[in-house]
Amino acid sequence: MARLIRTEKEVEGRFEEVWLVVEEDALDQWPEGPREVVGRDALRKDARERILGQARYTADVQLPGMLHAAILRSPLAHARVERIDLSAAAAMPGVHAVLGPGDVRGLEQEAGFNGAPIAAVAADTFAHAQRAARAIEIEWEELEVVLDPEEAVRRELLTTEPATYQRGELERGLAEADVVVEGTYRTSVVLHNSMETHQAVCQWIGDMLEVYISTQYVWGVRSAVADAFGLPGDKVRVICEYMGGGFGSKNDPGEYTLVAAELSRRTGRPVRCALTRREENTAAGNRNATIQKLIVGAKSDGTICALGGEFINAVGWSGWSAGTDGPMQMLYACDNVRTVRYGAKINTPPMKAFRAPGFVEGTFGLECLIDELAAKLGVDPLELRRKNYASSNDDKPFSSKNLMACYDLAQEQWDRRHEVRARSTGTWKHGVGMASQIWYGGGGPPSYAWIRIGSDGRAQVVTAMQDIGTGTRTAMAQIAAEELGFPLDRVEVSLGDSSRGPYATLSAGSSTVPSVGPAVRAAAADAKRQLIEIAAQRYHLEERVIGIENGSVVSADGNLNTPVEKLVEVLEDAQILGKGARGPNPTGMSVLTFGIHVVEVAVDVETGEVRVDRVYAAHDVGRIINTMGARSQVEGGIIQGIGHTLSEQRLHDPDTGRILTTTLDAYRMPTAADVPEIVCAFVDKPDEHLTNLGSKGLGEPPIVPIAAAIGNAIRDATGADVHELPISREEMLRALEAATKKERRGAPAAV
Amino acid sequence: MELLQPSSVDDLDGGLFLHGGTEVVPLVRDGILSGERLVDVRGLVPRGVHDGTIGAGTTLAELEVEPAIPDALREACRLAASPQLRNMGSLGGNLLQSTRCWYWRLKYPCRLHGGDRCFAREGEHREHAIFANDFCASAHPSDVAAALLALNARVHTTQRELALFELYRVPDEGDRDVVRLQPGELILELEVPTPDASVYLKAMDRKKWSFPQVGVAAARFGGETRIALAGVAPIPWLLDSPAALDAATPLPRTEWKTPLARALVQRALAALQ
Amino acid sequence: MSDLRLSVNGHEYEIRGARVGISLAQLLREELGLTGTKIACNEGHCGACTVQIDGVPTLSCITLAHTVRGDITTIEGLRDHPLVDAFVRADAVQCGFCTPGQVVSAAALVAANPSPTTDEIRHHMAGNICRCGTYPRIEEAILHWQD
Repeated sequence: MARLIRTEKEVEGRFEEVWLVVEEDALDQWPEGPREVVGRDALRKDARERILGQARYTADVQLPGMLHAAILRSPLAHARVERIDLSAAAAMPGVHAVLGPGDVRGLEQEAGFNGAPIAAVAADTFAHAQRAARAIEIEWEELEVVLDPEEAVRRELLTTEPATYQRGELERGLAEADVVVEGTYRTSVVLHNSMETHQAVCQWIGDMLEVYISTQYVWGVRSAVADAFGLPGDKVRVICEYMGGGFGSKNDPGEYTLVAAELSRRTGRPVRCALTRREENTAAGNRNATIQKLIVGAKSDGTICALGGEFINAVGWSGWSAGTDGPMQMLYACDNVRTVRYGAKINTPPMKAFRAPGFVEGTFGLECLIDELAAKLGVDPLELRRKNYASSNDDKPFSSKNLMACYDLAQEQWDRRHEVRARSTGTWKHGVGMASQIWYGGGGPPSYAWIRIGSDGRAQVVTAMQDIGTGTRTAMAQIAAEELGFPLDRVEVSLGDSSRGPYATLSAGSSTVPSVGPAVRAAAADAKRQLIEIAAQRYHLEERVIGIENGSVVSADGNLNTPVEKLVEVLEDAQILGKGARGPNPTGMSVLTFGIHVVEVAVDVETGEVRVDRVYAAHDVGRIINTMGARSQVEGGIIQGIGHTLSEQRLHDPDTGRILTTTLDAYRMPTAADVPEIVCAFVDKPDEHLTNLGSKGLGEPPIVPIAAAIGNAIRDATGADVHELPISREEMLRALEAATKKERRGAPAAV
Repeated sequence: MELLQPSSVDDLDGGLFLHGGTEVVPLVRDGILSGERLVDVRGLVPRGVHDGTIGAGTTLAELEVEPAIPDALREACRLAASPQLRNMGSLGGNLLQSTRCWYWRLKYPCRLHGGDRCFAREGEHREHAIFANDFCASAHPSDVAAALLALNARVHTTQRELALFELYRVPDEGDRDVVRLQPGELILELEVPTPDASVYLKAMDRKKWSFPQVGVAAARFGGETRIALAGVAPIPWLLDSPAALDAATPLPRTEWKTPLARALVQRALAALQ
Repeated sequence: MSDLRLSVNGHEYEIRGARVGISLAQLLREELGLTGTKIACNEGHCGACTVQIDGVPTLSCITLAHTVRGDITTIEGLRDHPLVDAFVRADAVQCGFCTPGQVVSAAALVAANPSPTTDEIRHHMAGNICRCGTYPRIEEAILHWQD
């Protein structure tokens, strides 16, 4: 039964109150433990077509008569277009149309960063378009360039009001403390660099606009594009069945989609607008740099009694200020906490959500700080975490929290650190470090799914969701198969088309499984009910004694056992249609995910080389749907995290603000040779308060604690405190030298 | 774009030489090199190893598994670039590759491009040089060149024969070229002496597929040891002795390279014993 | 413009009036419709565009089509290679954009060395960047491709 409710919706740490129509979620969760299909390894449903290169990505869409667009971007970090002359460009060979500032949303008069989109050209080939874009004549009025986030904060150049948080009294807590540790931690700008760049192909067909786009949010793009062009939503069809990575950067249409749509409208031809890799490294979004000034106070028995922090997010020209302060507020049971968080508005390309925005950066600062506290107290770092375990989030209970179980799983790994250290030889020092993980991942309404079963006894899940590589397609098939009682190979999933299927939430913020999953289960339950009704009629039994197991209709007394195809063959063209919706989240509870990483590193103390040898990752994300897919997510998140920990950094020219690391030889992501041994464990306990599945998302948790765990392992191995990401050779050598100086002055040894 | 594929050295008449193309193709696309006329020289340049001579057309992948060359050269090839780039890239081309300096690659009007500033010196230079960096702070990225310099290789071109160290020059006000080749002069072969022992050590930012932060090649010929460094100067850098590192002139953000170089030089020398 | 003959996956193609300077990657994708080979950086840094030329992994995005000598193998030509199943079994794919290039490189590796060690795998696959981090799965696929 549908009802209208007001509920809190969280995505990537940002909360909003929304009005939603929801169906009552009446299904009981499955009991804990692996089921027939759910909670087991499932081969990825779309693996083969991706591996074979048959999957059609937006980059592969080639429509007859398609034109190519190139965007002219500002070379300057802050300037206004005083005069622009498009005529030379328009006259160039192959050019069909040219757009200037204001001709479409996204092309602006004022450029607030190097790479800001100003104008665009559609031409027969991309080379023609690029050449023409270069022929656009612009006179710039150069404006003041602010690049230093601390200066921006001083001058109150902010993207948003500062966010303050307080519980208890920080000063009192510090006064009570026996030990106080302070430190400043910095993280650098890191780029998503999905393998498929941001791009869209737009085509008008009558008064309908068709948008092929590499996106994480088919419905969101539909709404945004419809809004930009003054169209009703159903006149925009957004298609994305396969996309080459997003990690948070592809949650909106960006300027390139609107540019392609407008150029298509003007030329009457399909238009592709695809970012080059250099544009991708410049203006496609980033995880912003942070500066964190942190303080922690504790009693000598290890009770943390004070936590404080000033957090500066170097947001850029626009964007939002992510929850870098979140871990400090939520991870530990400390009575006195005060944080203030600034979003610095500077002339650098705007941030975009990147896999646990804010919490990756904040966990690095906090978990390194806590480890430094442990060292000063002479307390085991894992013991210190156990001692300060938070049983609630302020006054809000957790819907489920099994972080202690994660600690227990990791204890054996942690206990081996003496063995690991003993491997030190010559200039190579070995050490072990840990870090806790906290993040969101509960998803929320709305999301909907339909299930269609035909006379062949096969089920098709239909919903306009995305599979951005996380394996959500397979997870949905598993959920449907489990609820229906079908084998997995009789269930297919149709996704990625806003004209085919109901609304599904964006694939970001670890939302898809916890948001769309319950809707799929509800739809499957609806379809199963109808199958059982049909069986009751056909076989003259009561509905309550009928079940479906492994694709067969069975009766409780065992007399009936017939394949589903046999049951439904009478349908012919008739179909069973089930529908389901995601219900609301539990009210008054914090829905969060938890985990721990224990990392073994080796450091060459003479050359500063850091080698991550092994990562043990234990995560609590409620019920795991696909154990194989889950492991891949953990490995992937850890490897991506090793990138921002050791080698990834976007650099700009300090004078002009121009981006310097625009190519993948300069912006260095991990290769196959940079991968440690990774061992995953899951608590895999359903969150009993959360939906009919008890599942949370896993896309982000694995990337959250890895940098801190590596930093702490380095400290364990060498006594060196790294306070900056990436831990480049330069930073490692600096920290080693500082440690040597500290050692000569007699500092406490590792515990 | 015109693409010529001459079959004889006598047919050469200007144009931009192309072999593996791993540098030339991207630089032409970026407009840093003029691609009006490309000359595919794969038919002209010898390829293969015999008797201490290596054809300049030999790929790094071929050399990476070649037993009949000194260890330093084989190791420099093995640690260079990516497998695909090693498959495509020739020895001769590798010696002629340009700096990775972002200002140069992004076509800032810097000194190497004929301008009057070194943007790296004034700006972001953390991956740049610690020697000969007064005029231009770019770092030479070739592992192979450092190895061949330590090995005291000789270069045979279509016009002459010269020591490898004569192939390179530090750019200055009067001449911005890092390489001393005449227009139309093509490298054909490298003559590589056999040392008693040689080694190449490389510090890089990730485990593979990364340009040298500091690369150290060392080769011992009887009582004489030669040391050459990659990644520390605008050209492959011959070090007279470990003590010569004391004369390094790092920039504020390249200071870290000096102790790193010291450590690697020490290790390289130890490995030669 | 000039006419071009290329051997791709065992088939002889005749391409009329191909622009001199076009990359092999662009030609494969746009002229021959072989879109399995992906372009991700277009300057030879990421390996997504890897094809084999006479069995040797090569970056098609920086290879000028008119300079190609030898037989080209793209992912389309490796459809029946046991590595494909091995990748599926090992879950060696997430977004999949880098995967065709990974398979092409891996196929060349196991052709020369059917039982590579993990060190050899890492050495030969280091030029194929995967942003999703499927490397451990790819390694497993290559270790067990003959199973």
